Amino acid sequence: MARSDFIYTDFLIVGGGAAGCMAAVRARELEPEIDVVILEKAEISRSGAAGRGMDALNNVVVPGIATVADYVEAVEIVADGVFEPTISRVIGERSFGILQRLEAWGLHFPRNDRGNYIVNQFHPKGRFLVEMRGELKKILAAQAIGCGARIFNRHPVLELVKQDERIAGAIALNLDCGELKTFVAPAVLLAAGGAARIGLPSTGYLHGTFDCPWCNGEAHKLGYEAGASLTGFEYTASSSMTRDFNGPGLSTFIRHGAWLINGLGERFMERYDAERLERAPSGIRMQAMREEINAGRGPVAFSFSHLPVKTIQLIEDGIFEAERPTMRDYFQRKGIDLKQQPVEVVASEVYLCGGHGLAGLVGDGWGETGVPGLFAAGDCLANPYGFLPGAMAMGEATAERIVDRSPARPAFGDAAPRLARLRASVEGHRRGALGVAVRDFEYKFRRLVNEYVAPPKSARKLQRFLDETEAMTREQDDLPAADAHGLMKVFEAKAGLFCARMAARASLFRTESRFGLYHERVDYPLQDDQNWKTRVLISRGPDGPILTRENP
Amino acid sequence: MNLCIDSDCCTGCGACVEHCPGHVLSMGSENRPCEKYPDDCWYCGVCAIECPAECITVIFPYLIR
Repeated sequence: MARSDFIYTDFLIVGGGAAGCMAAVRARELEPEIDVVILEKAEISRSGAAGRGMDALNNVVVPGIATVADYVEAVEIVADGVFEPTISRVIGERSFGILQRLEAWGLHFPRNDRGNYIVNQFHPKGRFLVEMRGELKKILAAQAIGCGARIFNRHPVLELVKQDERIAGAIALNLDCGELKTFVAPAVLLAAGGAARIGLPSTGYLHGTFDCPWCNGEAHKLGYEAGASLTGFEYTASSSMTRDFNGPGLSTFIRHGAWLINGLGERFMERYDAERLERAPSGIRMQAMREEINAGRGPVAFSFSHLPVKTIQLIEDGIFEAERPTMRDYFQRKGIDLKQQPVEVVASEVYLCGGHGLAGLVGDGWGETGVPGLFAAGDCLANPYGFLPGAMAMGEATAERIVDRSPARPAFGDAAPRLARLRASVEGHRRGALGVAVRDFEYKFRRLVNEYVAPPKSARKLQRFLDETEAMTREQDDLPAADAHGLMKVFEAKAGLFCARMAARASLFRTESRFGLYHERVDYPLQDDQNWKTRVLISRGPDGPILTRENP
Repeated sequence: MNLCIDSDCCTGCGACVEHCPGHVLSMGSENRPCEKYPDDCWYCGVCAIECPAECITVIFPYLIR
């Protein structure tokens, strides 16, 4: 295999979302000579979880309103004490600089009557949420393109390449021609998002998820297989989402003072967390919703009728203009007027996400995973409730580390044998001996997630999931793929199943209940701080995953 | 189908195909976009926003309507 078969770069970014774009900009800002490549699965101007837009930055330490210590304390509360504070501190320290950078790039941050940023409370404690308007992702993409990074759109990554113990690049699929392309680099940033398609939404529509459905745990699987550790997979999050549409709006509704009411019109959070009410940690909020519905007091809804018209207009402006214009169409179709009626919400499907939860690759304050040359940022990194500012802050931090180290370009490592294996795997999918459509395969394991992994959990159910899906881990190699798009879908399904099984293993391992609904074990109903106020780590062993407590 | 594309006003520019984050759309016959992979639609509305002729309406997947 000749060197000309490969594309060489200094810094390879897997995923052109908020984290990836910011990493590219920061790297080129610090070192104009550094060559940066972004491999983007879609088209960079609209890709990633923030591709359509966002109406706020959820976690900014605005001087005079909060401190970094306040922010770290707030994260500790939502993480139920199970977090490593370094990353949260880094995010807190960088967050206001991120806001200023975005404002300089043209994002609009509305001001209140006194000329200050509009900062509201969403966390159980402290105000960190800053109202924002504008085409966030288009601006980020323009900056990434403008800084001179080389963008390869429609290139999902299927494999990482290593040289001895170092990371040495990645192999991507060109969706336009179906060919595999190898990129060689001394530093690789995984920034390919969370894992959205784990549980099955109540609608049964596979892509009707709360989180971005095109990010399905590929980064987690790639990182784990390269030797990085995972954490937080027992934090099987779900959110209270607009029935059927399944998002967005949760933080918008809560920060502007909407109430959660039951079918009797009662503000039921008073029964479950009288002090924090709707701003209770999300696992507690979801537990309360479940209790109300199971007691026959549903349906559950967000109510706005007590709010001033001006506030409701701000909510509508946020979700209909900045975040998701189709939500306006949906509300119109359903005859919903926020000024007149409550909006029914249901529990979303289970998902795994660093930015909206605790699950992700383990990294330090620079996003380093422990595998030399391999970094992570954004929703695939365990950056507890880091949200969008967390993604951009860690993208920045990663770039600074890489530029500082300026590692030499590697040889092409084990690219040749990996490429050969991958080609054989692709050929297997083209033959598709299983004869089962990937959508049926995906539907099956996600239905099993709903039945056995979603809370309430028990050892019996979790083990049942692992047993039931064991055969699927072998069958998946024979899933059919008629074209490049189909091949991408197969790899997404494989990553989703991988993440679901890791969620089952981590949930089985943590023999206590914690995080409200998210890790409610009926066979271990009590929280056990003495033994379990620590992260569960999953690393790759010679015979399969090894689970440990970080601080036993 | 999840989208309604007004063929009378579509110019065939391909902006919707290019920007769709889920590769749902593809250029079909007579240089007009079509939903090649409708099951992958997140009804995010990027196609409608990016259409310079404003000829796309999201009508939502049947299961969520």
